[in-house]
Amino acid sequence: MFPAGQLASTCHPYMIIAYRAGHKMKVSNLPVTEVKTGLDIPAGGVTFEWLRQAEDASLHRDQEVHTVAGVYGGQPFSVIEEFNFWRGKPELAEAVAAIKALTAVIKRSEASTMMGLEIELRNASDALKAWDETSISLTAGCNLFLRYVTRTSAVEYEDIAAGKARLIERGERFGEISQKARRTIAMLGQDFVHDGCTILTHGFSRVVLALLKLATANGKRFSVICTEGRPDNTGAEVAKELLSVGIPVTLILDSGVAYMMEKVDMVLVGAEGVVESGGIINMLGTYQAALVARTMNKPVYVAAESYKFARLFPLDQRDMSPSPRHVDFAEPIPPEVTVENSARDYTPPQYLTLLFTDLGVLTPSAVSDELIQLYL
Amino acid sequence: MVGTTSGYEAAVDQFVTKMRRRQVVGSQSSAKLTAELLRLVVSHQRLPSSGQAAALIEAVKAVGVRIIAANPIELALGNIVRRVLHIIREEDVSLASDSILDSTLDSDDEDEFGNVARRSALSAVSVAAATRNTLRAPSLYNLLESVPGTAATQVARVPSATESEARSRSGDRNLMSRKLKHNVIEAITELLQEIDNCHSQVAEQALEHIHQNEVILTLGRSVTLREFLKEAKKKRSFQVVIAEGAPRYQGHMLARELADVDLQTTVITDSAVFAMISRVNMVIVGAHAVMANGGVVAPVGLHMVALAARRHAVPFVVLAGVHKLCPQYPHNPDTLLNDLKSPSEIIDFGEFSDCLDGSPGGSRTHVVNPSFDYVPPELVSLFITDTGGHNPSYVYRLVAEYYSPEDYVL
Repeated sequence: MFPAGQLASTCHPYMIIAYRAGHKMKVSNLPVTEVKTGLDIPAGGVTFEWLRQAEDASLHRDQEVHTVAGVYGGQPFSVIEEFNFWRGKPELAEAVAAIKALTAVIKRSEASTMMGLEIELRNASDALKAWDETSISLTAGCNLFLRYVTRTSAVEYEDIAAGKARLIERGERFGEISQKARRTIAMLGQDFVHDGCTILTHGFSRVVLALLKLATANGKRFSVICTEGRPDNTGAEVAKELLSVGIPVTLILDSGVAYMMEKVDMVLVGAEGVVESGGIINMLGTYQAALVARTMNKPVYVAAESYKFARLFPLDQRDMSPSPRHVDFAEPIPPEVTVENSARDYTPPQYLTLLFTDLGVLTPSAVSDELIQLYL
Repeated sequence: MVGTTSGYEAAVDQFVTKMRRRQVVGSQSSAKLTAELLRLVVSHQRLPSSGQAAALIEAVKAVGVRIIAANPIELALGNIVRRVLHIIREEDVSLASDSILDSTLDSDDEDEFGNVARRSALSAVSVAAATRNTLRAPSLYNLLESVPGTAATQVARVPSATESEARSRSGDRNLMSRKLKHNVIEAITELLQEIDNCHSQVAEQALEHIHQNEVILTLGRSVTLREFLKEAKKKRSFQVVIAEGAPRYQGHMLARELADVDLQTTVITDSAVFAMISRVNMVIVGAHAVMANGGVVAPVGLHMVALAARRHAVPFVVLAGVHKLCPQYPHNPDTLLNDLKSPSEIIDFGEFSDCLDGSPGGSRTHVVNPSFDYVPPELVSLFITDTGGHNPSYVYRLVAEYYSPEDYVL
């Protein structure tokens, strides 16, 4: 119900669950101070970890003010600039850039305890998330890395230097991990492409392209129908990429999805984010393509890396932070006309057949399983 | 490394021939024979001093590939091979972490409060965590821990890493080798027992699902189903409608068997299923194999029954022992290869001899006699396995429990 981005700016990911489950629990015996921080006692009673996190959360409230461009190690450093630097690299996904930026924060950190380091990181990640609230994979990447830091520091390292070195090493290798993830997905997914089939795709996704390219490299003959993808013209880009490896492509209007569906054997899309329900958030039009595919009994496959799994549970299309996109209309339109120009939509899990991820081929219901394992 | 042969080679050859000639019928008996064969392979395999688990996996895989090729339609063969591979990996990891724990206990004795003991205990914990991670399926939880590399090197790395850790710590290699083998054989024996008991385990749950005076519909014959109905009959009185299951008409045999235990049965033709379905409380059927997405490979005609059941909102329940659970997705036409049986089951050659293949007028009539249907997961209401009732969307969890992801593709 609550976008993780909004809540996470006031409390730790762990607390979101406590907060959501909160209405079921007794609150009468809570000390007043804790009520103020907006935290409820988790179902299992007060644990050590919970206390520690509650403490973190309240500490972090005081420091929130000077996070956006914090001064680390005497020299000015902005996590956002760092993020933008990494995001500029063509092959890096947003979540990867976020993790690289957070790694840079660790590098510059002068914290003498793991707890201090965690707080610094949390502030940096909140700054990142606040800077671009619309990006789901950015939020997911930040949360994933923070969770990893919490776990690592809690379990394995008493020595701060060793802990930091380990975190930095992991953070820097995350780029490789994400590259590998893309290869794994391509490998798993190409099995589903068979000779003579026609695939409809919508939106520009590097994973989908990798998958199709691998399939064609493995000698499969198939054709692809891509939608125009207004207003970003993603279809033209995809078509160029596919033509370069010799895959026959047909370009259609976004509104031609239903018209073409009878010729299609499967729908294959990427995802901007995969949410807790197992549904996906992707470029506008994915929902309608999935609906049409369901009506005509065609499978809908999603290729997405697991770091795009986000702790969101959208209940409807407007239950996400809006991400408007400028649209040019051919005719000049009077200013009184409202233009609804969201860049993305939410496709509920019942319209998806399978998700190809680096964790294996998953049914939509498996997504929440993975998220629970990580965050609970 | 794999030099030892002949010990089981003859048995494997015999098994492969049997499978190729389709002399083994039913997935339970196939699964059982496979497990017995693999137990033989494991016990006869001479192991090198290092990388034993890897050698064992190699040997089992080599045999596995052959027997799967002998009958690719009987998915239970591949399932059991993968189960055994998973057993070997699991035993190897548990042995390795055991020996590490032992060694840390020793050092604790020597130096009770010393730094050394504490450090080794700490590293033992982390090594144990690492070995656990290597066995675990990849997950979001250990995404950042994972070491990038290609899938192939990762497979090779898993056993060797645990092995070398273990080697540096455990003194007696010989003991450990015997222990690994012994544990694996013991686990396979357990697996055999599990396969043996699967009917009764499934049947135990019958009373939860079948209620007084209900009408159950089924098609064809399945041993699991027969036992299930017999078990329910002990406490409940209910009716069974049996679609005969053309062209093999095994439904007739099931009706006979159920009549022997005084169960009220009605035999109908397959084409009467839709007419009957509105009077039925539940459809219960056996399966040939359950795919990882919850889809079912079932005797021919069941897709139609499932659709009829969906039309009238009748629950469609599938009984399946865990050995029928297959870690593959039905993406590959190869895995859905249908067994095409002899046309003589459908028509007599004499009647159609003038228009069949080889007749002077050319072949105007084709006779196709497939043995399986694929029922998509949306049409299945519930799976009843030896471990309880499961939703189709839960099948992937069962798969993760019983198989290692490295073995999905052999």
